[in-house]
Amino acid sequence: MRMLLHFLKPYKLQAFAVLAALAVNLLGVLLVPTILANMINIGVSSRDFDYIIEQALFMLTAAVLSGAGAFVSNYFCADLATKVGRDIRNAVYEASLRFSGGDFEQFGTGSMITRTLGDVNVIQQAITMTIQMMLPVPFAAVIGVALAWSIDEQMGMMLACFILVVAIIAVVTVKKAAVIFQKLQRFIDRMNVRLRESITGARVIRAFGKEEAERESLDEAFSAYADSAIKVNWLFATFDCSSFFIMNLAEVAVIWLGGNRVGAHAMQIASISACVEYAMLILFFLMMAQICALTLPRALVCLERCRQVIECPLSIADGAGTELAPAQDIVAHFGNASFRFADASEDTLHHINFFCRRGTTTAIIGPTGSGKSTIAKLLLRFHDVSDGAVEVCGTDVRDLTQRALRTRISYVPQKAWLFSGTIAENLRYGKPDATDEELWHALDVAQSGFVRELPDGLETRVAQGGTNFSGGQRQRLSIARALVKPADLYIFDDSFSALDFKTDAALRHALATEVAHAAVLIIAQRINTIVSADQIIALKDGCIQGLGTHRELMRSCAAYQEIARSQLRAEELEELLGVDVELEADEVDVADVADVATEAGTAATATDAPAATSAEGGAPAAEAPAVKGGE
Amino acid sequence: MSRENETKNLEEVEAMELIERAQAQLDGIDAAKGADAAGSAGAAGAPGSPDAPSAPDTDAEVPRDAFGVVRRLWTVSKGEHWRFAVVLVSIVCYTIAQIAAPAYSAHLIDLLWANIQRAFAAGEAFSIGWDTGGRECLIFLGIWTVAWAFYTLQAFTMASFAERLNLKLRRAIAQKLNVLPLRFYDANKPGDIMSRATNDLDKVSEVLQRGLLSMLMAVGSVVGAIIMMLRYNVVLTAVFLAFAVAALLMTRLVAKRTLVLAARQQHAVGVLTGHVEEAYSGRIVIHAFNQEQESAARIREATQRLADAMRRTDFMTNVAGPMVRCLVRFSQVALALLGTGFLIAGRLTIGTLQAFFQYVNTAAEPLTQFSLTMNQLQSALAAVERVFDILDEPEIEPDPAHPARVPQPVRGRVAFEHVRFGYDPDRPLMRDVSFVAEPGQKVAIVGATGAGKTTLINLLMRFYEIDGGRITLDGVDTHAMTRADLRRNFGMVLQDAWLREGTIAENIAYGCDGATRDEIIQAAKTAQVDFFVRTMPHDYDTELANDAENISQGQRQLLTIARVLLANPSILILDEATSSVDTRTERAIVAAMEALTSGRTSFVIAHRLSTIVDSDLILVMDHGTIIEQGTHEELLAAGGAYAELYNSQFA
Repeated sequence: MRMLLHFLKPYKLQAFAVLAALAVNLLGVLLVPTILANMINIGVSSRDFDYIIEQALFMLTAAVLSGAGAFVSNYFCADLATKVGRDIRNAVYEASLRFSGGDFEQFGTGSMITRTLGDVNVIQQAITMTIQMMLPVPFAAVIGVALAWSIDEQMGMMLACFILVVAIIAVVTVKKAAVIFQKLQRFIDRMNVRLRESITGARVIRAFGKEEAERESLDEAFSAYADSAIKVNWLFATFDCSSFFIMNLAEVAVIWLGGNRVGAHAMQIASISACVEYAMLILFFLMMAQICALTLPRALVCLERCRQVIECPLSIADGAGTELAPAQDIVAHFGNASFRFADASEDTLHHINFFCRRGTTTAIIGPTGSGKSTIAKLLLRFHDVSDGAVEVCGTDVRDLTQRALRTRISYVPQKAWLFSGTIAENLRYGKPDATDEELWHALDVAQSGFVRELPDGLETRVAQGGTNFSGGQRQRLSIARALVKPADLYIFDDSFSALDFKTDAALRHALATEVAHAAVLIIAQRINTIVSADQIIALKDGCIQGLGTHRELMRSCAAYQEIARSQLRAEELEELLGVDVELEADEVDVADVADVATEAGTAATATDAPAATSAEGGAPAAEAPAVKGGE
Repeated sequence: MSRENETKNLEEVEAMELIERAQAQLDGIDAAKGADAAGSAGAAGAPGSPDAPSAPDTDAEVPRDAFGVVRRLWTVSKGEHWRFAVVLVSIVCYTIAQIAAPAYSAHLIDLLWANIQRAFAAGEAFSIGWDTGGRECLIFLGIWTVAWAFYTLQAFTMASFAERLNLKLRRAIAQKLNVLPLRFYDANKPGDIMSRATNDLDKVSEVLQRGLLSMLMAVGSVVGAIIMMLRYNVVLTAVFLAFAVAALLMTRLVAKRTLVLAARQQHAVGVLTGHVEEAYSGRIVIHAFNQEQESAARIREATQRLADAMRRTDFMTNVAGPMVRCLVRFSQVALALLGTGFLIAGRLTIGTLQAFFQYVNTAAEPLTQFSLTMNQLQSALAAVERVFDILDEPEIEPDPAHPARVPQPVRGRVAFEHVRFGYDPDRPLMRDVSFVAEPGQKVAIVGATGAGKTTLINLLMRFYEIDGGRITLDGVDTHAMTRADLRRNFGMVLQDAWLREGTIAENIAYGCDGATRDEIIQAAKTAQVDFFVRTMPHDYDTELANDAENISQGQRQLLTIARVLLANPSILILDEATSSVDTRTERAIVAAMEALTSGRTSFVIAHRLSTIVDSDLILVMDHGTIIEQGTHEELLAAGGAYAELYNSQFA
């Protein structure tokens, strides 16, 4: 509620206009029977036709007033409700933009969409209904009783009593009904769950031959709902009919009392009908308010769901730094970084250590689920490390604003996602002022020659998510998008997997010169993609199993060898390993170690690498930190 | 995501309906009181789950064959026809009483006035006694009570009618769901099917309860009121009718305009939904490219557009009633002027003039709703038609009358013999596929996503019927068996680990009614999920929540493995672990699957080639058909698609 008030605040004018217009409307509505009564009273007593015409003009004014009031209040009601709805939507969306990966996942995409769209709709409609159905009650009651009072005190008193009684009944009914409605809601949910299960589980149900059981279970859910819905209908019918009866009583009571009061010269004959009208109107508004009140709890739930998003505490706070140190040799550094997802019992990454240097390519390879992509996400600060540190250009990423950090990094996500618009708009994502030449250049590097063949070229429309392009095309466009953006670090998160070998090779070749000024981090599944990388990290179960060049890892890292053996043919392996294979086959271990130490001297193995490997690579591992990789 | 979209639409529709209903009820204000009260009976359908499925939008939809739908509904509601009789009689009686009441009130007021004037003439004060109006007051109350009684009778008669009808149709749908071919499920989104069973039918019950009844009552009231008005004064009636026709024309214009605006609003909703879905799905890109502000601006523009569209629609929907009522009030001014003239001229009494005004209200109010109600009726009929469409969907062919039986115990030899199949029979995918899985063999199915690995399962399990050739189990044509008999021999563990709402124990025992707790625990232990289950709050009695979101994908898969273990089938169909599981769970799944497959014929959908190297038979699929088959060595030696796949894929 507090939040709703906050969102209503800017629209005091509209709120005031709604209230004023409602008052005018209801005054007009109630004045019409009052004036009519006057006319008839005059008609039967003085028969002053001029007075009657004057009253008719009054009545016309009242009719116009009420119409105008209704018009204006409806207008401002629509204006207010839709604007508040819009503001809540914007607030929810903008809150989501501040979310880290973890914050967002705690809600989930589906739920976030519902909160942004559906929930707000419910809130908006609740505002409209409150204005249209609840607010008139106090106005109608006060004006009605006042008018009745002005006709005759006793009449006013009686009217007030009727309103009081019905209002009390209404409050009690609403309280009772709310409980039944909640129950009905549960039955609706159950019906939906069962239905969804029966539909999505059609295969399993049939495989187990449980059709009959499912049908019975559905039947049961349907019956429970029907029973409950019928109960609600009965409740409504009871409520409906009792209101009807009270109205009858009120009408006869007003006539009875009216007859007596006219007989006592306290009021005039035609005013009886006016009082009957007041009573009917007010009681009717009360009934409407009652129905409206039943729908409000649901809106409150939706409001709460939006509040959770808007007021969600952020797990990642911006640092103060907006400037990164200019060109440095070491672009990125993982210093003993570990990471654990908020609800996980195990670390996803364990003590990760490595550097990315300008002008070099670092590759990460490992099986699915080994934590490769998480490394990229830590660099971009979609998540924060749970231990250790990640530095970009010498500054801990937590000391920077996310904006400053991300201006220095260009990223190709695993799932190539384009936005609706044109190709050019998408490519300019990282550099709004890029020229067409730059875009074409990036497209060429990204092997996206197909764009040239499109009739509209750069202006070709992109559908939502880029679904009008094939997976490979999307991926190449998303690579081109990343290349347009100037950065110190280019991250390719499994970006080559949808490409065929030829394109993959051509792309990597073109990339080499394109991003020579920056550091490159490639996350890959295919070994061919990364054989030529300056350093390769073999990752398994969140631990670095080996770090070095392809040659080094082929000798020293069992995990890497396993990957290579599974992907490469024997002859390819031989070709890649060349002499080393023979060495391994023919020579003694000493030669091996010496070879590594002298020739490359960069191999390093993680502490928990297999025993055989660490024995083999023991000497270079000790040297490594000084050279390139390191602990 | 599309489901969310649908959910959204649903809420839109729902809210619109609520507003319309509210509006219609607001509109009742000026009318004679009985008709007012007609509104709320249908409200049971109002609250919907936020997760409920979609309803096709817009009230502009029109049934293809309105008369046919009505006739069929009539047939479906057989056994409840007496309710209609009661309701019709009630409505007639109610209308008569309701029309009689103002006439009697005219008499009552005139009588009171005469008595009062007489008393005044005698110089006395007047108070109502039994003979000076008291009796008439009670008679008046009596007339209203009769109206009330019949109103109550019809309200309670109809309170259960619509829901009973819905229940009948829903049961028919539940029945139908079991005999619909899988083809139907694959072709229709779950949300669409669900919406027919929920929203569409709710729409029907609401319209039956409110729209139809209030329309019948309104027609009675209008006709009765106009007859009474004509009896009182022809000139005044003519004046009123002139205004009424104008009002009617106006509501039609407004209703049409509302449809146009609603369509525009729907478009704005679609645009915003698109932007929001896109932004949430691509949020990583937005962050990586520092596009937060631009994206927020884009959303802001879309929300602004939607707000504009909604403002117009809301306003137009809500303003129709006040406009008509304003027009009616203008007519009242004219009538008041003329009427008082008649009164002075002595051609009307006070009572009759006031009664005339009551009739004006009675006759005028339905005008405000007429066009909207027509729209609703139409859309409700279209909704029922959609339900009937489901019920009319072609069904799977019935099981043979004299089914063949596989000799027990089943050995598990599965053979495809010249199988021809296509989801669209005109475009066959498999033309002539043959292979044999010998008892106890492990058959691996390999292929890219969308290559048709599930096609094979669809055929094995007879989820789809083949177009030619035959599939045999231990030499018996599966087509000659009952589906239940056939499927009893298979166990499936799919990636989409479907679990039911219920306890963990119930889920494990799904395929094996009457399994003891010990057996369940044993199966869970074999499936390596026992430890996990024990960490849950009520171990085996833990309720799995909605779509089992309280457990991870990997655990779900383990539970489905336990489920199959307990069912103990002769032949297995397994989908390998998803990539979304952590390594430890993955190891558990692999181990559990090994436990499962030992000694049984198994079909394994492989995602990692390393695990299938030892298979007895590898089927390589592409574009829905089997393009290669053989052992790992044979296929590698052949140097075909498998070899390429094997060499390219990270095992």
